Amino acid sequence: MHIDWFVFLAQIFNFLLLMYLLKRFLYGRILKAMDDREAKIVARFAEAEELKVKANEAAELYEKRNQMLNDKKEVMLNEATMAADAKRKELMDKVREEVDAVKARWQDMLVREHDAFFYDLRQRAAKQLYATARKALADLADVELEERIVDEFIRRVKALDEEKSIQIRKAISGGGNKIVIQSAFGISEPRQAQIEEALKKQITNGFTIRYMQQPDIVSGIELRVNGHKVAWSLNEYLETLVESLTETLQKEAHAA
Amino acid sequence: MEIVSLNQISPDQVIIWSWNFIVLNATILYTWLVMAILVVGSWFITRNLSSATNVSRWQHFLEVIISIIRGEISEMTKKGADKYIPLVGTLFLFICVSNVLVVVPGFVAPTSSMTTTAALATCVFIAVPFYGISRNGLFHYVREYFQPNFIFFPFHVMGELSRTLALTVRLFGNIMSHEKVVGILLAVTPFLFPVVMQILGLLIGVIQAYIFAILSMVYIASALSAEDEVHHTETKKEGVSA
Repeated sequence: MHIDWFVFLAQIFNFLLLMYLLKRFLYGRILKAMDDREAKIVARFAEAEELKVKANEAAELYEKRNQMLNDKKEVMLNEATMAADAKRKELMDKVREEVDAVKARWQDMLVREHDAFFYDLRQRAAKQLYATARKALADLADVELEERIVDEFIRRVKALDEEKSIQIRKAISGGGNKIVIQSAFGISEPRQAQIEEALKKQITNGFTIRYMQQPDIVSGIELRVNGHKVAWSLNEYLETLVESLTETLQKEAHAA
Repeated sequence: MEIVSLNQISPDQVIIWSWNFIVLNATILYTWLVMAILVVGSWFITRNLSSATNVSRWQHFLEVIISIIRGEISEMTKKGADKYIPLVGTLFLFICVSNVLVVVPGFVAPTSSMTTTAALATCVFIAVPFYGISRNGLFHYVREYFQPNFIFFPFHVMGELSRTLALTVRLFGNIMSHEKVVGILLAVTPFLFPVVMQILGLLIGVIQAYIFAILSMVYIASALSAEDEVHHTETKKEGVSA
């Protein structure tokens, strides 16, 4: 086998040249690119790892803050609940007080209405009784009721005991010798003379009488002098009637 | 086109031009062609390299090849693989491209010339002491030839020479014989059979390139590891005596 030494050396040179060229154009560049990429990937992994650590730290911080917020929320909620309970209690007390006040006012009003009703009833009953009695007296005895009332008044004046008479006499002299006789109706002059005579005979002389017509005195007549009084009216009877009537009505209301 | 006739054993015998001792034969010409393909291809692909994750297919292709070579070298040397890539990688790429291009009609592999394979084996023969000395120094390298004692020196030298000769003849014999076998089969057998043989030839060509490169690396690595072992043993002895 023949070996041409020129070709042999040329092939060695060719190989070394190829080695140099490939080192320059292939291996160097490729290896550099691969190493650079590897370094980049490593750096990226390191960065990712660092970011992961940071993310974990941030997550822990967030978790901690979240926990704190939750705790705070719990405390605030408890405080708010307690405040709301206290406020509710306060409002309930206030409402209860108001209700009690309204109830008291209502009961007061009810009592007033009750009183007004019975007052009115008494007035009406008195008037009705007065009218009925007058009509009955007029029908039965053919005597004016006023006449009977005046008669009764005169009888009462005459029937005054000594002690009462002295008291009235003192009162007349202390009050400027003036007597006021009030009546629900007008009194005729003969009847006024009878009254005056009875008074003079029973009590004293030297006084002046002033007659006043007062509708409030239900079907009655009364003498008033400086804190003392001689009177007759249907009020006495009517008050008895009203008491009886009130008692009856209350019993009915309780039964209902 | 018949460039190397059957009675010519090597493309060295196809003389294209000569002047005095300077000869331009088919071996050199096809070597230049393979070199041009490798260099221009490398330059073309690597002119716009990217170190990002988004790279071209050709770059991927080259990176895969270089990675495989680097991995093979790393398995043997353990460290500093990049230092040996130019030698081992160029051996593999040159032989592989030469052998594979045989399928192109009219191409004659430079590796079917014993001059070429001898030149490549000589490069390895020189590279082994070069790397050994550059790593561990001349004294350690030369001392290795006298291990375990001076009687073994001739055997070491013979071993160096014989394995260089083995590298030369193995590659030359495989490629040359394959070309000749395909040429003879074309003359005596139906058309399909030589096609199968050509496909087999591609496989053989790649395997031979791999074998040549790996053996070269084994030789270099054995020189390095032998030096390492000596160095390691001495360090150990010093440690014990101290």
